[in-house]
Amino acid sequence: MTLLVGAWTIGLILSLLALGVFISFRIFDFPDITTEGSITTGAALTATLLARGVNPVLATATGFCGGALAGMATGVLHTKFHINSLLAGILVMTALYSVNLHIMGKSNVPLLSETTLATYAEHLGTGVTGGATSLNVFGWEVGTRDAAVLILIFLVIALVGGALYVFFRTNLGTAMRATGDNAQMIRALGVNVSNMTIIGLALANGLVALSGALLAQYQGFADVQMGIGMVVWGLASVIIGEALIGTQALGLTIIGAVMGSVLFRLLVAIALRAGLDPNDLKLITAIFVFVALILPNLLGSLKKSTGSVGHA
Amino acid sequence: MLEIKSITKTFNPGTPNEVRALQGVDLTIDEGSFVIVIGTNGSGKSTLLNAVAGTFLVDTGTIRLAGNEVTRWPEHRRATLIGRVFQNPFSGTAPHMSIAENLALAARRGHRRGLGWALRTDVTSDMQERVRRLGMSLESRLDNAIGSLSGGQRQALTLLMATWLKPQLLLLDEHTAALDPKSADQVIRISEEIIARDQLTTLLVTHSMQQAVNLGDRLIMMHRGRILHDLHGAEKRRLRVDDLLARFEEVRRGELLDETAAQMLQRMYV
Repeated sequence: MTLLVGAWTIGLILSLLALGVFISFRIFDFPDITTEGSITTGAALTATLLARGVNPVLATATGFCGGALAGMATGVLHTKFHINSLLAGILVMTALYSVNLHIMGKSNVPLLSETTLATYAEHLGTGVTGGATSLNVFGWEVGTRDAAVLILIFLVIALVGGALYVFFRTNLGTAMRATGDNAQMIRALGVNVSNMTIIGLALANGLVALSGALLAQYQGFADVQMGIGMVVWGLASVIIGEALIGTQALGLTIIGAVMGSVLFRLLVAIALRAGLDPNDLKLITAIFVFVALILPNLLGSLKKSTGSVGHA
Repeated sequence: MLEIKSITKTFNPGTPNEVRALQGVDLTIDEGSFVIVIGTNGSGKSTLLNAVAGTFLVDTGTIRLAGNEVTRWPEHRRATLIGRVFQNPFSGTAPHMSIAENLALAARRGHRRGLGWALRTDVTSDMQERVRRLGMSLESRLDNAIGSLSGGQRQALTLLMATWLKPQLLLLDEHTAALDPKSADQVIRISEEIIARDQLTTLLVTHSMQQAVNLGDRLIMMHRGRILHDLHGAEKRRLRVDDLLARFEEVRRGELLDETAAQMLQRMYV
């Protein structure tokens, strides 16, 4: 059960990453590699500030802003200097590696006794349960801290998801969606496409960094390597979400990305429990995304070829 | 209203692909005038429209629109004054967004886009009525994604979007060329209605001789990046398809003559 709760919590935390990837890849059709650096930036900023005794909420918010700045940098490189979208992301990601090391001053910042958002959740949890260290949920033993953290994270995700949904239905938000859908059209309606892309990437990387900030507080450390493979991870979550729930309505795709992230994390936890070598994890994730990307075309051509056989 | 003074544009200058698309175009259009632009392929008629819309900046010359010097304005800024319909029906709408959302985007052309709700009731209230006037029975499908509609329906909606807020200038770039004849007729009828009702200053590029004769109060014929003929008033009204074809034939003969003359000179001197 502890394993399951842990997988749920990390899945929900990483769903912020999935939402960021959803914004850059799906809404803006922008393959944004900055993600790999900005998730670490969020974690590094937050962990370093927490280690200096800064208020956790403030530290987490700073993490978000750091990621947003990184996203803006990629946006500016792409729109103002006309650098290819992939390359712009790679440049910023590479630069962020050094920036992150400078922020942390070393390659790893542990959070052992510092007050974090997880501590807040724990206090809240023990307060509600009257000091019990574990709870009985449908016959399972669950640590109060774990349960409280899970509930807090869930509330944060619900809040962020709801805010995103509302934002993308506003005048600014619809203009952003139209920018990814048909840039020529929205330019002819008087929208500065460059600015939309920059704001959109800032938002996406802000969410990714927020995910990193929460992850650092949950797992108790920030590490300069923690961003590796995160783009593919986020993409896998988004693809699973789309398979689960479709891409028809905006609200559903947002819920889908969150569900996809949780499900993917659960699958990984089960696979690891069943004896999967952790070293193979990234390889398998990449293969999974590859298959998910080519499957629709493959199925389509299969259908077509069987159809033509039927005619002959 | 629109004042174009000796604009030129060369694409890919200094390369083997150099195209001198506009070679000194002067054009002044009065308010409320409906101008048809025709010409052979590569004559620069679409380039002229794009120069006005700001798709690219001209090399030399000036463009003034509704009292503004817009020569250096980027495209999105000029869009505050200009409504546009493209040749490709896919270009003018966002396919994955609903009809209502597309119209709401058009309802803020040239305005600040903040955190107000996009589908506010003051925007959506007259949406059904205005869509019904297109006569395409789309008013009951406002929540459908535009990608599910036909080219003709999308072009009609693009037209509605371009004119949702009255533009100072309406640019129609062969907006029926990619449609089947029935849809093309329908879109032309809607265009005429809207232009007449709102008395819009309009530039229409077309390949259709029929449209060129039937529509507008002025006709411009372009050739090789220049304006060759400019027909106003009674001259435009008297114009028939045969007259236009004769003028095209004249252009073609001129070209032939140029070529044979060049060949003759080559034989004699090379």
